Amino acid sequence: MANNNKWARILVYAVLIYAVIYYLLPLYVMITTSVKTTEEIRTGNLLSLPMHITLDAWRKAWGTACTGVQCTGLSLYFWNSVRMVFPAVIISTTMGAINGYILSKWKFYGSEIVFAMLMYGLYIPFQVLLLPMAQTEGYLGIAGTTPGLIFVHVVCGIASTTLFFRNYYVGIPDELINAARLDGAGFWRIFFRVVLPMSLPIVMVTFIWQFTQIWNDFLFGLVFSSGDSQPITVGLNNMANTSTSVKEYNVDMAGAIIAALPTIFVYVVAGKYFVRGLAAGAVKG
Amino acid sequence: MAMPALPAARYPNSELEKKMGALAIKNVTKSFGDTHILKGIDIEIDDGQFLILVGPSGCGKSTLMNIIAGLEGPTTGEVHIGGRVVNNISPKDRDIAMVFQSYALYPTMNVRQNIAFGLETRKVPKKEQDEVIQRVAKMLQMDHLLDRKPGQLSGGQRQRVAMGRALARDPILFLFDEPLSNLDAKLRVEMRTEIKQLHQRLKTTMVYVTHDQIEAMTLGDRIAVMKDGIIQQFGSPQEIYERPSNLFVASFIGSPSMNFIDCHLAEQNGQIGVSLQTDSDARFLPLPNGQRLAGRVGQEVILGVRPEQLDVAHSDDNVAAISIKVNLTEPTGPDTMIFTKINGKEVVARVHPRDAKGPGETMRLALDMSKVVLFDPKTELRLE
Repeated sequence: MANNNKWARILVYAVLIYAVIYYLLPLYVMITTSVKTTEEIRTGNLLSLPMHITLDAWRKAWGTACTGVQCTGLSLYFWNSVRMVFPAVIISTTMGAINGYILSKWKFYGSEIVFAMLMYGLYIPFQVLLLPMAQTEGYLGIAGTTPGLIFVHVVCGIASTTLFFRNYYVGIPDELINAARLDGAGFWRIFFRVVLPMSLPIVMVTFIWQFTQIWNDFLFGLVFSSGDSQPITVGLNNMANTSTSVKEYNVDMAGAIIAALPTIFVYVVAGKYFVRGLAAGAVKG
Repeated sequence: MAMPALPAARYPNSELEKKMGALAIKNVTKSFGDTHILKGIDIEIDDGQFLILVGPSGCGKSTLMNIIAGLEGPTTGEVHIGGRVVNNISPKDRDIAMVFQSYALYPTMNVRQNIAFGLETRKVPKKEQDEVIQRVAKMLQMDHLLDRKPGQLSGGQRQRVAMGRALARDPILFLFDEPLSNLDAKLRVEMRTEIKQLHQRLKTTMVYVTHDQIEAMTLGDRIAVMKDGIIQQFGSPQEIYERPSNLFVASFIGSPSMNFIDCHLAEQNGQIGVSLQTDSDARFLPLPNGQRLAGRVGQEVILGVRPEQLDVAHSDDNVAAISIKVNLTEPTGPDTMIFTKINGKEVVARVHPRDAKGPGETMRLALDMSKVVLFDPKTELRLE
């Protein structure tokens, strides 16, 4: 019996360790490659540790690498993404919170239909939206600008943010809202004083979710931005596709890590809320 | 509505208005499509009375409570609080306070903030707020809890805070929605007493929803027994206990429940009464004032007997005594429940433990025929 247990345990660990290696190996290759010289990459082994650590590739990816005709590195795109992601996340999260609050606590005639139609938005492939969205942006005069990109992300994010908040708020007892109504509070006071202070976990979930979605988006960034408003995903693509005589894997890797750092950072800082919030939202729904 | 609408405030700002804490519910109905939750409710109570709405789940008592509070609107009918029609007045302007079943304390605020919230929204000055909090905390002995969050309180303490929050408002009408149902048995009895003391001290009109008939009996001045959206009986606790208007009320109120014995109304030697048969005896028991039932002789009736109306017979009262065989006993301490069969129906008698016999033995029980009630088996109504 004990022996059996031991082998089962060894098997479990073997599978787990294999999975860890499988997931971490690419990261290892990215990091080691990004601090190697092009010379070392050409002559050396993909998995070998770097002989001399150099940050030249990082500096180049950030400041001087060519993306198409201009050679200003990824920094420009990085700051474009930052300028775009925060308003987009904050606006879509706020709207999701208010929608969820209404759809769970202030139901009106037909509110279930509104909710069902909003949920339909989760299943629409975004490629379908490209043409009508481009037209709308044209009418609104925000095509190819950062506000235009924010607009797209907000519109496409509302379905999921509303779902998150609505399902979380369904778990808040109606009696609490009724008590506040008897206490003389109205729609907004109940929201800000009673409901919102209880919402930290779901705000964090939605924030992380939206931040990751919007930061990592390539499709909308490619279609709805131009030149000086392009996000980092597009910048990275342009950089990697700009052909020079030698393929600079170390610069590409450094650029890819730069592009991924903010989402990793958000997960590390707020990740515990993510798991907690998902669990909380899953109780009822 | 056939009823003419009363002016919104009949006694504006007068002393009289303050006194009119009374509640009147006039022909209130509530329907969702074809589902009729309330089917014409009429209740009127005087200022300072304690009204109980009691009934099994699904009887509409909580809906009625929400309509009084203004959290839901009636489909038809009128609600009067303090002498004015409040149908179109929002919950916050009805001058009421409510204690919820789940307590509904704001989890992110501490006790002090929970109590102050309603005062804040009504723009009570800060200094006055503090005074109110002190007064309430003292009244409910919870000074030491003021800085805690609801999550750090026990069930009983939360209950106390929920009551404190209602008390802070000093309303003309208190509403309690099954406030004790989440407490353990011991605490429930304690809080029940405390609510009753509170009512005696404040003398404010209270409405209390419960499914617990003991709470209903112990707390209420007036009890409305509800079932299927209809008030089955509305009266004082003693009235409802002694003269239940139908089989449902008779079986719902009282524990152990009233015994129902199927029997025939018969006439013997010029006296009208019922024949009872047990495993060891058969008797004709005449009813006092039996003549009022002369028209029903020969018909089936249901005899309703409270367990305490079946007591041990002493030698001198053999008129309405019958010998029974004990099937089972249940000692509760002060009394012992004797289970037997009369006319084929299981019957419980509540006797003094000293008098109880063991299973298989026979004993003589006296029926207090002046207190028994009779029901019509078809209409289930009590026979006058």
